[in-house]
Amino acid sequence: MKHSTVSVTTKTNIAFISGAAVMLALFFLSLFVGKYPLVLSRILAGDSMQVKVFLTLRLSRAVVGLIGGFALGIAGFVYQTIFHNALASPDIIGVSSGASAGAAAGILFFQGATMITVCAFGGAIIAVVFALLLSTLDKSGRKSTVILAGIAVHSLAQTVLMCFKLVADPEKQLASIEYWIMGSLNGINSHIIGGNIAVCLVCLVALFVLHRQSILLATEETEAKMLGVNIFRMRLLLLIFSTITVSCIVSMTGLISFIGLLAPHSARKITGNNHLSTMILGGIVGSCLLLGADILARSVAATELPVSIFTSILGAPFLIILIFRGRQKL
Amino acid sequence: MSILNVSNLRAGYDKKDIINNVSFSVNEGELVAVLGANGSGKTTLVKAICGMITHSGECSVSGESIDKLKSKQLARMCSYIPQQSGITIDISVINVVLMGFNPYLGLLQYPTASMKEKAYKVIEQVGLKGKAEDNYLSLSEGQKQLCILARAMVADSRLLLMDEPESALDFNVRYNVMEYIRSWISQETDGGKRAALVTLHDTNLALNYCDRLLLINDSTIADTVNIREDDISVIQEKLRIIYGSISIQSFTNKNGDRQLVMVREPE
Repeated sequence: MKHSTVSVTTKTNIAFISGAAVMLALFFLSLFVGKYPLVLSRILAGDSMQVKVFLTLRLSRAVVGLIGGFALGIAGFVYQTIFHNALASPDIIGVSSGASAGAAAGILFFQGATMITVCAFGGAIIAVVFALLLSTLDKSGRKSTVILAGIAVHSLAQTVLMCFKLVADPEKQLASIEYWIMGSLNGINSHIIGGNIAVCLVCLVALFVLHRQSILLATEETEAKMLGVNIFRMRLLLLIFSTITVSCIVSMTGLISFIGLLAPHSARKITGNNHLSTMILGGIVGSCLLLGADILARSVAATELPVSIFTSILGAPFLIILIFRGRQKL
Repeated sequence: MSILNVSNLRAGYDKKDIINNVSFSVNEGELVAVLGANGSGKTTLVKAICGMITHSGECSVSGESIDKLKSKQLARMCSYIPQQSGITIDISVINVVLMGFNPYLGLLQYPTASMKEKAYKVIEQVGLKGKAEDNYLSLSEGQKQLCILARAMVADSRLLLMDEPESALDFNVRYNVMEYIRSWISQETDGGKRAALVTLHDTNLALNYCDRLLLINDSTIADTVNIREDDISVIQEKLRIIYGSISIQSFTNKNGDRQLVMVREPE
């Protein structure tokens, strides 16, 4: 017996092929856009400066754009699914604010981009661990408890960030903190991405492997339990993987707005009810958005602009449309 | 032999008891209904049995204490159909039904081809033929409930707990669902005979499809109606505890089967 709807499958396949094509095109474009002009023939000819810029800066930046956008899209999808909330994103349990406070600490107390990345990663993880520990105080395992704990941790991290800003040198450190918060792929280089990308990829694989579990968590809590799901443990596991994924990216790039929200919703419009296809396409859309925003950020003005400006230009109107369509559950 | 045993169950919200001192059992082959007014504690009773709200007392399935069972062990023994499923994501009907196999799958395992074939078959049996690939969210409320029923059916457990499954169903579908549940109960599993506990608002469904009715009033089981053994006058008197001025009328359908109907009477 054949059970398939050709139209949906065809539409999804077309979306995958065209999405992947756009993603690859943006990836290659990202390699050659920037202040220092790169020429493919000179790179292939072995021009040392061209090769050095290509390998150290551009390739790393394009890889972070590709994998970072994919990761933010997937993480947003997982958050929205397990919290039953169309507006859920990694910010909801304090990842971004924790990373911001960590990055500010790195800027104030250490030197160098690597230390800022390490501190931002540490801040994000501390925030999430704290939120999850707080949520364990409620033994019922309700999803709203995790969200409330996240809001509390977000406020706390914002307070820490404000304190760091107050003591920061207004000329240099304060500007650096503000620029980091606005998000940019400007500081990416091959020396800082290796570990983060490796951990991010491992977590992404785990999220795909566990995607059937995330579907089960999309049911009401009593339903999930009666389907044999250990709700608390499974939600914690998925949250840990998706949060580490996001932490790996935002600790390198600073805050990137709206991709985690926008990408899954865009994918859903195309793939409809196929959960795995939506997840993959959400990642592809995320990659396209981050690569596209980064290309715009370094090409529309004489100086490089924060990437979140462009992701927000796309994301804010979309968020308003979502609110007025009234489909989301707050 | 009883499948579900509930003893001195007490449960509620915010330290306020909604049900108190509730004890009953559901035997093999039985379909037992829980009747009560709005807010009497029918849903609280089901949630307490599932272990989803704070409770005291003892609930056991096939002799095993529910509180001591792991989620998967409980799910293999007992399926649950809520008033309304909490699914809010775009997902196909077949994938919703396949969730029913989760208790038999490991963390990283996926449903097998035979599980999928069984799921398609059950989807057709509950009346959703041709809807397997449709988006669950695009179904009517009644169709969604049938989909959740199919999910419970594939799980192959011995006990079914249902919380007002008829609330969103039209006249014909609610009768079809009850007939389907009766037929499901009559099929034996490897572990033995089946049984179901269902909370209902529709008294007529309860009178014509269930074996016993548990009447909840003042936070506890005020009385029990045994449909096959109690006279109509006795059933009528007992149901007045909940519904006040009512009478029970008996009719015969074209097959010659007795049909009981509850009628509201003037005070």
